[in-house]
Amino acid sequence: MTMLEIENLHATAGGTEILKGIDLTIRPGEVHAIMGPNGSGKSTLAGVLSGRPTFEVTQGSVLYQGKNLLDLEPEQRAREGIFLAFQYPVEIPGVTNNYFLKASLNAIRAHRGEEELDAMDFLSVVKEKMKIVEMPKDLMGRSINEGFSGG
Amino acid sequence: MSETIEELAAREYEYGFVTDIEEERIPKGLSEEIVRIISAKKDEPEWLLEWRLKAFKRFQQMLAEGHSPDWAKVSYPEIDFQDMYYYAAPKQKKQLESLDEVDPELLATYDKLGIPLLEQKRLAGVAVDAVFDSVSVATTYKAELEKKGILFGSFSEAVKDHPELVRKYLGSVVPYSDNFFAALNSAVFSDGSFAYIPKGVRCPMELSTYFRINAQETGQFERTLIVAEEGSYVSYLEGCTAPMRDENQLHAAVVELVALDDAEIKYSTVQNWYPGDKNGKGGIYNFVTKRGACRGKRSKISWTQVETGSAITWKYPSCILQGDDSVGEFYSVALTNNWQQADTGTKMIHIGKNTKSTIISKGISAGHGQQSYRGLVRIGPKAHGARNYSQCDSLLLGDQCGAHTFPYLEVKNASSTLEHEATTSKIGEDQLFYCRQRGISEEDAISMIVNGFCKEVLRELPMEFAVEAQALLGISLEGSVG
Repeated sequence: MTMLEIENLHATAGGTEILKGIDLTIRPGEVHAIMGPNGSGKSTLAGVLSGRPTFEVTQGSVLYQGKNLLDLEPEQRAREGIFLAFQYPVEIPGVTNNYFLKASLNAIRAHRGEEELDAMDFLSVVKEKMKIVEMPKDLMGRSINEGFSGG
Repeated sequence: MSETIEELAAREYEYGFVTDIEEERIPKGLSEEIVRIISAKKDEPEWLLEWRLKAFKRFQQMLAEGHSPDWAKVSYPEIDFQDMYYYAAPKQKKQLESLDEVDPELLATYDKLGIPLLEQKRLAGVAVDAVFDSVSVATTYKAELEKKGILFGSFSEAVKDHPELVRKYLGSVVPYSDNFFAALNSAVFSDGSFAYIPKGVRCPMELSTYFRINAQETGQFERTLIVAEEGSYVSYLEGCTAPMRDENQLHAAVVELVALDDAEIKYSTVQNWYPGDKNGKGGIYNFVTKRGACRGKRSKISWTQVETGSAITWKYPSCILQGDDSVGEFYSVALTNNWQQADTGTKMIHIGKNTKSTIISKGISAGHGQQSYRGLVRIGPKAHGARNYSQCDSLLLGDQCGAHTFPYLEVKNASSTLEHEATTSKIGEDQLFYCRQRGISEEDAISMIVNGFCKEVLRELPMEFAVEAQALLGISLEGSVG
């Protein structure tokens, strides 16, 4: 079974057609890199798949694990497992990484029918993960992407 | 996206119910006779009636000269002061001996509002004075507080039991002639809360007044007076709600705070009057004068307000920093959704040496909401070394709302330091998308972003109420990103 199946995908932004019939099939376990010069539509494709509202799909279909991806709201796609690493992360002042990650994780857990984690359980999960990536502890109390340099 | 928004905007105001209770009202309209009736109802001493009558005279004069404040950036049809009731009170058969004798209808009302009054159920660590229309109906923890010498209860009782204190401080911070609505309040005020913290006492619990408007076509005019003697400390909180009605109702209150040497008063408000429906029909006109005097050296007054209700808010909790080294603070979150209007801010009047003030104002506008921050920082000629820091941030949701900032600075002492920062931002599509891409629903994302924006203010609220305020912001705002 395929994991992601994109067929003849057309999408516009601000009335300009950017994706002009993309076809791509991805099976479980495969890693695909999409390359191309500036303005060739790489970010647009990522935006369309994750449901960014600035893009409009005009033609074609996207099946994700057998579901019509284009019918889903961005948060539903995320809960199903579509994750976008942002090229330009936005700052959200006053909202700590800790709070945000907990809200995000619990939204996904609820979607999967799992029990939500309370603050204590969440903290122990986070501590464990932070150790793996050697992340400094104070990062959890910092606001989302505050002082983050992109690129 | 706009569907979620409409759905949420249609969510009903949670406290809009009406209590079916027999109320006693005096005839409609405003006259010297009405002022006398109110005073007689309260069995007031002569000096207080005199004071009311002077205030009434002043009000009439201002009304005749057209002195109703027209400088605020809010608009509403002219108020007909003859077309409302100035006094409405639930009928009570006799003097109450204990809270158990309070009308069950009233107890049920406060239960429904989340303010249980009966001993077995009442909130731990918070003493509550419950004001229903024109009268205080119950005060909890009174006896416990009295053991420490703290006086807390209705204003009317204070006039009876401690006339010397009331007479000394009433009108000493907000004189009856101060402004149009203060003059009206001084003439017809019916009840309110009074708190007195004796020298050196740290009030062991939060004091709180819960204001409820219930009767139709009735204005609420209450007065609150808090006096903190030398070296004392008190944290006070007020909450307010009203039924949903198609007509506008006037709420014109006056709050006076006095802090003597080394005393500290922390005054928090969570204002949730009925804001009107989504077409702007109905709602409370919240025209309030709040002012604190830091009379003593090293005294401190801190105002924290979360203003989510009312059709119109006109309110400037202020500090007169008279004592040397005194400190004034103003932390505000004001939210206007649908057709709500707010013109709110503060005045920091620096008189004493090395006085310090901080102003943090967060305005959120959504729907067709119009919001203005209006703040005055005045540094008097003798206020050597005075400091002020002001920060005014506005957050816009959608493209039909407005945010305006009117800072006034008057500096007469060159050794003072003033800083002013202001920002205006929009909840960005990008911020929302970022949250949604991490699995968070749109409404949770809005609530999260707004609460983050207000964090500096919310953290000033007493713990119990910070949670309530956060939830309230979420509810009042839902459905507003365009």
